[in-house]
This record gives sequence, C-alpha cells and structure tokens, in this order.
Amino acid sequence: MKGYFGEFGGRYVPETLLPALQELEDEFSAAWEDRGFRDEFSGCLRDYVGRPSPLTHARRLSEHLGIEVWLKREDLNHTGSHKINNAIGQILLARRMGKERIIAETGAGQHGVATATACALFGLTCAVYMGTRDIERQHMNVERMRLLGAEVVAVPTGTATLKDATSEAIRDWVTNVDTTYYLLGSAVGPHPYPTLVREFQRVIGEEARGQILEKTGSLPRAVIACVGGGSNAIGIFSGFMNDQVELIGVEAYGDANGRHGASIRFGIPGVLHGSRSHLLQDQNGQVLDTHSVAAGLDYPGVGPEHSFLSATRRARYELVDDRQALEAFRLLNRLEGIAPALESAHAIGFLRQYAPGHEGATVLVNLSGRGDKDLHTVLQEGL
Amino acid sequence: MIAEAIRTSKRAVIPYVTAGLPDLDATGEIIRALSDAGAAAIEIGIPFSDPMADGPVLQKASHLALQAGFTLDGLLPRVAKWSTGVRAPLIVMSYINPLMRRGMGETLVRLRDSGIQGVIIPDLPSDASGIHEICRSIGIDLIRLVAPTTPEERRREVVSQCSGFVYAVTVKGVTGARSNLPAEVRRQVQDIRSLTDLPVCTGFGVSTATQVEDMLSFADGVIVGSHLMGRVMESKTPVEESRKVLRMLMM
Repeated sequence: MKGYFGEFGGRYVPETLLPALQELEDEFSAAWEDRGFRDEFSGCLRDYVGRPSPLTHARRLSEHLGIEVWLKREDLNHTGSHKINNAIGQILLARRMGKERIIAETGAGQHGVATATACALFGLTCAVYMGTRDIERQHMNVERMRLLGAEVVAVPTGTATLKDATSEAIRDWVTNVDTTYYLLGSAVGPHPYPTLVREFQRVIGEEARGQILEKTGSLPRAVIACVGGGSNAIGIFSGFMNDQVELIGVEAYGDANGRHGASIRFGIPGVLHGSRSHLLQDQNGQVLDTHSVAAGLDYPGVGPEHSFLSATRRARYELVDDRQALEAFRLLNRLEGIAPALESAHAIGFLRQYAPGHEGATVLVNLSGRGDKDLHTVLQEGL
Repeated sequence: MIAEAIRTSKRAVIPYVTAGLPDLDATGEIIRALSDAGAAAIEIGIPFSDPMADGPVLQKASHLALQAGFTLDGLLPRVAKWSTGVRAPLIVMSYINPLMRRGMGETLVRLRDSGIQGVIIPDLPSDASGIHEICRSIGIDLIRLVAPTTPEERRREVVSQCSGFVYAVTVKGVTGARSNLPAEVRRQVQDIRSLTDLPVCTGFGVSTATQVEDMLSFADGVIVGSHLMGRVMESKTPVEESRKVLRMLMM
C-alpha cells in the first residue's frame, strides 16, 4: 500500500495535516525528479557540508578486535553529524514550497543544530523544540542553536525528551500549517517523511559503498549503525540493500534498571507520531518511558522501514547498553583519536559482540556524529 | 442513536470528559450530572500518554488520569453500568494506539458491548475505510473529523465514511479554548451539509455561551472539552462544577 513498508508506516495524523503531507509528498517527488534540485542539493553537500565524508580504516581498533573496521566519517561533516544532509535537503524543499518558517524537534541537539544552521544559511526563521531533560544534558548544542539565531523552545511535558519534543513540534505544525515547514529529523513520522529522510541520507551509503570497494576491493561482511529513529542507519543501509551484506542496527539497551530504547527488540507494533512501527508500550497501549545515555537514542518508537527490514529479516537489530557505549567512547578516543557521539558509540560498542566468530571479517561502521557534545555526560559517568 | 439525540435536542451541547479524573467513580457521577443537565451526547476521552492533537489543558487531564491509574479495562465494565443509567448517548474519543493494542476489531466490539454508541479517533490512518467497515458491521458510529484545511474531494470521502455526526474542526490547531473563532467555520459547515443528511457539529476552541449560541446558529451541535476539563481540574467539587459549566453553556 502507498506510504507503507509492508504493514509499517502510513499516515496517522490529525485531519488538518493531511493536505500538507500530500503537498510535501508531491513537492518531494517533483523535486527528486528535477535535475536542477538534485544539482543544488549535491552542490550544497559538496561545498558547504564538505562531502564526500572520508572512509577511515581504524587500524589500531582493528588490531585490538581482530576484525577489519572501517569508519564512515559523518562526524567530519559540517555541524558534526549526518543530520546536516537531511536538514539541507529539506530546507531546499521548504524554499521550493515558499515556506519561511521552519520548525524541528531535537533530542541530542544534533538535528536542531543542523536545522538552525541550514536556516541561518538561507535566512529562514527557525524554532527548535527540545525536552527540558535534553536541554540539561546537551547544553552546548542549545547554545549553538541560539548562536545560529534559532529559538529553542523548552518542552517540560511527559518525559521531557525527544518523544515530547516531537509531539510539541507536531502541535505547532497543526496550528501554523499554512506558513510553516516541519523539518523532521529522523526516518520516522507520517508518510512521506520516512522515505524523504532516507533519500536525503542515502548519500552516506552510496559514498561508503564506492569508497570501501575502492579501498578494499570488495564489499564488507557487515554494515553497522546505531538506531534511535534510524536515519543514519537507513542512510548507510540503503547503499547496500541489494548486496550480500549483513545489515545490523544497534539499539540502546539503556541502564541496569531495565530502562532502554530498544523498540524493535522489545516493542510491539503501534502508532506514535503519525506512523505504525515497533513501539515501546504497555499492555494498555500507553507509551513507555525510555532511557539511554545517548539522548538521540532515547525514543520509544523507530522508523517504519526498520520495522519492515526486521520483519523481513533483511536487517537485524542488536543491543548495546550505556556502559558498553561509554566503554566504546573511551576506546575509540584511545585507539583512534576519535571522540564519537554517544549515539554512534553504540555502533562501535557492538563490535565487541560481533568480533568473536568473525575473525578477519571486514565491517563498515557508520560513525554518525562527533562526541564533543557528550563530554559533559561522559565526565559525569566517571570515564 | 447519536444523530437522533442531536437532532431532537433543543440546544445540542456535547461535553467531553477525560475518563478517570480524578477517578472513575467521579467520571461516572460527572457523566450522570451532564446528562441530567441536558447534554445531547457525551464524549468520554480515553487518556493517552502522547496526545498530539491536544492543547495544554487536555494534555494535563490525560496525564493526571494516567497517573491516577486509568486503564481501558477498568473503564469498560463501569461504562456498561453508566450507559444504561443515563439518557445521553455515550461516545468514546481515543487516540488510535490504545484501541489497537489488543486488536482494533476486538476493542470496538468491547466498546459497543458496554453501550458505547460512537467513536472519534483523531489520528485515524489516512485511509480509514477498513475501520469504517468494522464500525459499520458491528453497529457503532464512526464519527469523522473534517478540518478547515480539508479539500473538497477528501471531504466527500470522509463524510461518506462517517456516521452519528460529522465533526467540523473549527480551527487549525490543537484542542483548547480560544477567544476568537474563525468566521470561515460557517462556510465549512454549509459545505459539509451539502454532502450529507447527518448532523454537523463543531468543536475545538469553544468555551463561552456566546460562542455556543453563535455556532448553533448554523451547526447542529457544539462540542466543549478543554473549557469543561479546565474547570473540573480546578474545582474541589468536580461533579457540581461540571453541572454548573454545562448549565452556563446551555443558557
């Protein structure tokens, strides 16, 4: 069915928003067929974002683990994460649609910073919704957004994290739908967002596939990425979808008290924020509180295409907890001189589970963002 | 019959009550008081953790009710008692996820069996024909919403898969009282009327007797939610307060 990945996805939104989603779908389809739009997008990615991002052989980490680890360096993008790819793509779309006010939700602040940056670049008004709990733990990104001219709107309701920031952004959009473009940051939400975000992030996978073939002469055994909503993962996976390559998403297994963000592993299909996918919910259909040391993975839902890839077994989804992610953060600093975002550190952390039994195998990890924003958290955790 | 109850009501006000606030016993008493005070029908709001179509008042009501331990399983046996004891038909308003959790069809049958006559789901899938079909076959009204932004072709589709009444959303936005309601709603109601014989009721933002009066000059009924729940949450005597609010609106 249109707008679905198997039984997942769809458009479960207030009636008021349906025409805007249809308009967005039509505009995106037209833009994606338009050579001029594609050239403008790739021009921005090249000259402003700094693409292509490098592929780095993690030599010392490889020796340490006994597998060959290659890192796709999205952390080296302008603003420090893969989020800028999607932000630039959607800003170009918003301009095409004549929208002058941009709103976004953010968890770790990476999408908020990317959106605020793109708005500064094109002179658009920007409001970013962010949970008060995330504002506390990602303070540097809050200040960056403000410097870029964005208004950061604090969301104290519910769990005061990404979930509630997203609800509040949707409420703003319903109210201001005529003038406002909602720049959703992950591969979640109502159709066409999951598809549109994947297409704007596809560049990660396409570049990485060419780079690893060039450097190693063959495809990797596995492609590994962290999954919160799942935009960096779907971006890199999409370059290898038709290859004989394992696709592995890494979900946040949270703390020792059993709180986590592993929607695919422990969730049940349900509807949150406009689409149907795996959802952490109780037996009454109420959404559960989540926890991850990585604010960007602290989300009870997941992109519908990941639910589909899991159901069809094209991809599998594994678990890394807070402690393992912090350990991976430390390890990558020591062995490679790279501070990964705590989100990306989950993907790195999975390598310890993967290495036994796969000695000598080549793996590609999406290093989706840099960890400067997380120093505060990491120091608090005592590493 | 919801449509019949609205048509025969001299002044059709449909109050919305968040279930389980402050507890389910109080909800039952509030519903009885509202029915006695002349409500044309009553919407029972199912609390949800992530009410994306609601403003601050109903968000808070939902949150408090969940904190107080609300569950659908706890509600339905009571509804079965309430529905036989009150004159006004009872309608459930719920986000889709709590209804889907144990199967949409099964849950709708449970609602019907406890005497619920209609359902309103603010986040129905864009193609709701499957749910419409279930509701039609089991005999429960699916009340659909038409927004100010809904284009004509879509309006036709929605109205053709609607029963009980058509819910005309007055504003672009979330639920919650507003001092000014857009004049276009009159035109919107007329457009809907040209497509159906069902009653057309307006909702979102209505809080005063004057607004009710104004709406009823062209609509068949008016839904009032946030205003009522705001007053209920502030009051030490919520049952008395809800009766008072409804009487004020019906004056």
